[in-house]
Amino acid sequence: MSGKKADHIISLDRFTIGYQKDHCLLKHLYLTVNRGEMVALIGRNGTGKSTLLKSMIGLLAPLAGTCLLDGLPLDDYTLPQRAHRVSFVSSQLTQLPSLSVGELVRLGRMPYTGWMGRLSTDDLDQVRQALEEVQMTAYEDRKLENLSDGERQRAMIARAFVQDTPLMVLDEPTAFLDIPNTHELIRLLSRFRDAGRSIVYSTHDLESALRYADKLWVIHEGRILEGSPEDLGMSGLFSELFSASGIGYDNRTGRFLFSGNRRGVVSMEGKLVKEEPVIWTRKTLERLGYGIESGAAVKLTIESSSEGYIWIIQKEDEIFSFKNLYTLARFLIQEE
Amino acid sequence: MKIRTRSIFIVYFLGLLLIALFLLDLRIGSISISLKDMLGHLTGRASLSEQQELILTKFRLPRVATALMAGAALPVCGLQMQTLFRNPLAGPYVLGISSGASFGAALVVLGAGATGIVATWSLAIAAWIGAGTVMLLLLFVSYRIKDVMTILILGIMFSSGLAAIISIMQYFSQASALKSFVIWSMGSLGNVSGAQLKIMAWAILPLLLLTLAYSKVLNGLMLGEEYARTMGVRIQRTLLIIFATTSILAGTITAFCGPIGFIGIAVPHMARFLLNRSDHRVLIPVSMLTGMVVMVFSDIVSRLPGTEQILPINAVTSLIGIPVVIWLVVMNRKAQSL
Repeated sequence: MSGKKADHIISLDRFTIGYQKDHCLLKHLYLTVNRGEMVALIGRNGTGKSTLLKSMIGLLAPLAGTCLLDGLPLDDYTLPQRAHRVSFVSSQLTQLPSLSVGELVRLGRMPYTGWMGRLSTDDLDQVRQALEEVQMTAYEDRKLENLSDGERQRAMIARAFVQDTPLMVLDEPTAFLDIPNTHELIRLLSRFRDAGRSIVYSTHDLESALRYADKLWVIHEGRILEGSPEDLGMSGLFSELFSASGIGYDNRTGRFLFSGNRRGVVSMEGKLVKEEPVIWTRKTLERLGYGIESGAAVKLTIESSSEGYIWIIQKEDEIFSFKNLYTLARFLIQEE
Repeated sequence: MKIRTRSIFIVYFLGLLLIALFLLDLRIGSISISLKDMLGHLTGRASLSEQQELILTKFRLPRVATALMAGAALPVCGLQMQTLFRNPLAGPYVLGISSGASFGAALVVLGAGATGIVATWSLAIAAWIGAGTVMLLLLFVSYRIKDVMTILILGIMFSSGLAAIISIMQYFSQASALKSFVIWSMGSLGNVSGAQLKIMAWAILPLLLLTLAYSKVLNGLMLGEEYARTMGVRIQRTLLIIFATTSILAGTITAFCGPIGFIGIAVPHMARFLLNRSDHRVLIPVSMLTGMVVMVFSDIVSRLPGTEQILPINAVTSLIGIPVVIWLVVMNRKAQSL
């Protein structure tokens, strides 16, 4: 069981997952996770993200194929041996027992303690370190039910971290989190990655995955496409992926356009020294479903003024000016 | 560590309280035996009259010993159910496990009408089988339905269904058998004979030790089965042990003492409240201690000191346990939390 280390911490071979023989979700997967690599699994609801993660670590039985964990088939490990190699954070944040953060994180040392579960000073050191790592040291005695979703998720991650496994698997760790918390959490995971852990997590949030993950697994039409975020981006996969859903994806900026249909196009004229007004104006246009194209009939110029900025719209022969983006937005909506 | 000192304090407090109640319970009755005489008798310095000794060793001690065993065993069942089903309202009584045991007992008492040592063993075994069957059904259902409320409602339905069948059996049974069954169903700690006490002790004490040894694993189960498995808990073996210990513990107590309600569900919550922590390594022993205190106290109350009346123990424990459950439901709206 010990000795030489396999190249891949996880290696899936003809891996087929699903519930019964006639209801398979994903077929013949050949995927790998390298050591010290962060993999983001992306796909819509119901495409089998959870099932794949759970099958990969032996919580569900695959329909066919093998999964090599650290070079050996999953079934060759006993559950305690597996617990030394993979830790897991499930997507469910509800139904947690009334534990304090400290009690929860100490549970992570379970695979290393004797039959009475007594923690050594080394175990307690690791618990303290994990709490520091997720910035929850001050929360040690707080009960889980009194934490925010973000804090609770960090506590769950600290529990997995303290299990001290080369591979951490997280099912939708950011599902209940707002954008700042999501980024904070994924950055936390990338710090673990930098410390040599392998991380596999599933998410809806392509934006943070593009930013932080080393490799993406994208579930698309019953297949999984594997590659670095940039490779997959260049292949035009994301535009294709989201075109059907009414969510626009701008392949040049790597951004999503969330309104269904395009209202029109605007050309942005002039140059400003400061970037912020341009960025926020772009965001407004994006939100309203306006594309930005040079040479469009509607021209938008941002001028600095004594009170800040003025937005000037030039349309055919008419000229309108706006003191803020809100009034600009109202105008553009009514124009349509 | 503050929480640790608190736990130690609680254990000492409960221990002293238990000793006091234990001695008080031995004193109460038609013939008074003073504490001094009792202690003198134990150390051999004084002796009790023959009558006093008979009362003490044949009646009072077995009764209190029964109370202690029931008090230690039932909360362990409740605690294991609450952790396994991750439901604060789970308990052998609520989930119908006690009813399963009652049904087994009813078959023996009403149906066969066996007597003597055969009856004792058959009563116990029938209760184990009854409790085990309900446990199996619950486990089977809980594999398919993850919703905790559904499991709880099913448990209540199982127990109502079994109660209905038992009442049909009562309707068709003979007057003498009926009477002994009705008395049994009110619960009693005093009807346990010396031979039965031995069976109880043999069935219960090893299992209580086993659950203590399994407290680390129960901690792992708190986050649910999936987490438990990823933390190296051998889940099949654990389920089997929880299943067997709960059935046998609840079955044995129910067979010999009748259905004793609300100790199983309420006492673990009392222990959690006292300790303010959920670590089973402390929670299990403290639940046992608390349960013993509550049972001996209930026994004292049921004897209505100063009168010759004896209340059914089931009524007393229910009146103690029900407020705890109501408090749990009303005050603790986060009903998901254990």
